[in-house]
Amino acid sequence: MKGTVMSQRVKVDAPAATPPEGGPRNPLSSLLRSGLRIRALTGADWFSALAALALLIAVIGLMNPAFLNSTQLINVVQQSVYIALMAAGIAFLVTQGEVDLSVAGNYVLTGIVASMLIQGGMNTWVAAAIALGCAVAVGALNALIVQGIGINSLIATLAMGWVLRGLAAALSEGKQIIGMPVDDAFFRILGGEKILGLPVSVWILIVVISALTVLLRSTPFGYRVREIGSNEDAARFAGIPVNRTKTLAFLLSGGLAGLAGLLGLAFFTSGDPTSGGGFELFAVAGAVIGGNPLTGGTATIFGAAIGAILLKTVGVGLVYFSIPAVWSQFATGAIIILAVSLNGLMARRKQRRRET
Amino acid sequence: MHAFEAQDIRKSYGGVHALRGVGLAVRPGSVHALLGENGAGKSTLVKIMTGVTRPDSGVLRLDGREVAFANTAEAAENGVAVVSQELSLFPHLSLLSNLFPMREPRKGLLIDKREMLRRAEPILDQLGVDAAPGTLVQELSLADRQLVEIAKALVTEPRVLLLDEPTSALEGGATDRLLDILRVLRSRDVGVVFVSHILQEVMSVCDEVTVLRDGAMALSADPIANHSVPTLVKAMIGDKVVATETVARTDVAELAGTAEGALVVDGLALGSGVHDVNLTVKPGEIVGLVGLAGSGPTDVLRALAGIVKPTAGTVTLPGGRPAPKGHRAHVAAGVAYVSGDRRRYGLMLEKPIWENMVQVRSMGMSRDGAFLRKGALLERARGHVARVGIKVGSLEDDVSSLSGGNQQKVVMAKWLDNAPSVLLLDDPTRGVDVGARAEIHGLLRGASNGGSVVLMCSTDLEEVVAACDRVVVFYRGRPVAELVGPQITTRTMLELVNTGAPEEQAA
Repeated sequence: MKGTVMSQRVKVDAPAATPPEGGPRNPLSSLLRSGLRIRALTGADWFSALAALALLIAVIGLMNPAFLNSTQLINVVQQSVYIALMAAGIAFLVTQGEVDLSVAGNYVLTGIVASMLIQGGMNTWVAAAIALGCAVAVGALNALIVQGIGINSLIATLAMGWVLRGLAAALSEGKQIIGMPVDDAFFRILGGEKILGLPVSVWILIVVISALTVLLRSTPFGYRVREIGSNEDAARFAGIPVNRTKTLAFLLSGGLAGLAGLLGLAFFTSGDPTSGGGFELFAVAGAVIGGNPLTGGTATIFGAAIGAILLKTVGVGLVYFSIPAVWSQFATGAIIILAVSLNGLMARRKQRRRET
Repeated sequence: MHAFEAQDIRKSYGGVHALRGVGLAVRPGSVHALLGENGAGKSTLVKIMTGVTRPDSGVLRLDGREVAFANTAEAAENGVAVVSQELSLFPHLSLLSNLFPMREPRKGLLIDKREMLRRAEPILDQLGVDAAPGTLVQELSLADRQLVEIAKALVTEPRVLLLDEPTSALEGGATDRLLDILRVLRSRDVGVVFVSHILQEVMSVCDEVTVLRDGAMALSADPIANHSVPTLVKAMIGDKVVATETVARTDVAELAGTAEGALVVDGLALGSGVHDVNLTVKPGEIVGLVGLAGSGPTDVLRALAGIVKPTAGTVTLPGGRPAPKGHRAHVAAGVAYVSGDRRRYGLMLEKPIWENMVQVRSMGMSRDGAFLRKGALLERARGHVARVGIKVGSLEDDVSSLSGGNQQKVVMAKWLDNAPSVLLLDDPTRGVDVGARAEIHGLLRGASNGGSVVLMCSTDLEEVVAACDRVVVFYRGRPVAELVGPQITTRTMLELVNTGAPEEQAA
């Protein structure tokens, strides 16, 4: 219906349809290309989150210059690693119109399972592998309930989160699991060691984000994820295995929550059944703010991580603004609502600009 | 005196002139045809006349008085109702509730259901809607939904009614009833604007005709008596040379896979009541399946695609392989199912053109390995643009920016990309203009010449005449007749689908 193009002219005009990117390399076209690249950069889904993060750091730094030191900034990123990993996993689901709210429970349970096995004398790495396997199995269980039985993932994974957290509390009898061999390589390397000035956990985040970005952008699985979110019926009709793709995304989300749990255990050196409070909210909100709309179809893993770091920075910033501790949960919640609303308004404006 | 008049309407979208000073004047008690190819500006004009969009300039006059509608509700209050191309019903509400959106008759605070029934029943009877008023809309057939959409416009007792391609989803009988209703409306002094692709309908029911071409006037309120189908087609397309004749696109032949032998269907039966279907389709022929809605053709096509599971019988794919289980396995085995419902089953509208084109082969089937290079995918898509003859600006544009005909060609390209040896097409040119339709038929012929088995359904019998070598006619769930070559005429098929040809049944 759109456009006034008449199809009869096609035969004459078809060669002209070749887009310019293959054109000759002259200064003008290369200038045009770099211009296009800048526009592509600023127009990318994660750009506004990154800009907001930079602005926030600048504002906190202005009010309190002590914030702007590399140790402090690296600390913020280090503390963001757990929710950033979860947000990255959730991005694969949100894009397909699903969600995983069991990530916080999975995070806690992984830490408890690993720490109890270690406490019982098992090799740390074997214990970590077993706990990670459990986390992936939780993902499989989520997929089974959502795909197999056909329960909405919102309610299914929300309840699963309670189950996992409850299981963690029961296994640990509500107490912290302590007495970890903190000199063991697992705790030394993953817990605090730095390479080139960055903690190993931050390097792990960087590697995971890069790998997942390649997975999302350049593999059939990544395309399938985004295409299912764009039009599930059409994707199914095109031979895309929708159930299998969603199942893999649930496994991925479970595995990443498990990885976060292990990194948390290594850092805090104890299994804590009460940790990870509100992580699912931070992970989902981070993914959305970073450029993974709940309407699906587009995704950015980098954005999800940036969104998570942004939210963590807000939390740290509250301390710098000397907000009383009793008000911090209120403030954090309010800021998430604000950030998601701004994000939604901007997305709508972008949509409208595209339509006119 | 005109009941409703649009004068010198201009409208552009982001620099593209959709309408460049067009007008339309409807007399009370007349049916006025509004024609034009896809993209000529018909829908834009209808939207402007019913308050959906605002024109950049120009005036609307209702009984000579200048008006400006803020939205369709305001237009309806002023007696201007519209039946739009896209259905706008609430599937979870009853048929009756759908007739009175936001204007339910009330008794105090409560909705007056009796009054609703009193007003709706005569209209539903007239339209031949058999479903009870309490039926949920989601349980209705597509054709019934379309009739409900029309009833919704009629309950407002409009003085001017605009119908934007209302018969595209209707079967023969329902179309006839609709055309009768238009005649009744005319006798009641209602001014009707009728937008349609089907020129026979226009010739049979309309009094005057306005034709748009590229957003400008080609014919203005000309009496239909001055015209025939060829003169209308000429007005719509102008002096351009139009390939209404099917010309096989040989460059498509190299894309399509070669079928090693025929597709054989033996004693197929389906849960929907289809039974005793025996069918052999050889490579190189295009076979059409026709019948009234629910009589079988579409179900058979879906069964051949693996979407519907047969309850009995066997299907043998070319090369003697038994048909696998499930839709995806069929795609992998070289079966392509092209739906006319491209918005729902064919395209990801918000994704770029190139991504849509490579979807089946590279993503659905992972036939290009575990690592996809965008450059290679773009290159392949670019080749398809040339071969299939798609008019695009940039391959990076969203596929939604294309016209209906070009969108459907993208759907064709994405299936040809997977080198299918069996092409199944369900209404492949729905809502596509004359020229693009002929080109799509050219693609089918090219694929067929290249050795594919091609099987299609269509609600448009003209299309079947134009595209098919052989036609199998269905009646009440089973094939009753077969037509070959010159036997394939609209008239013969119409008779057969409605009567089932008793002499064949006796044999």
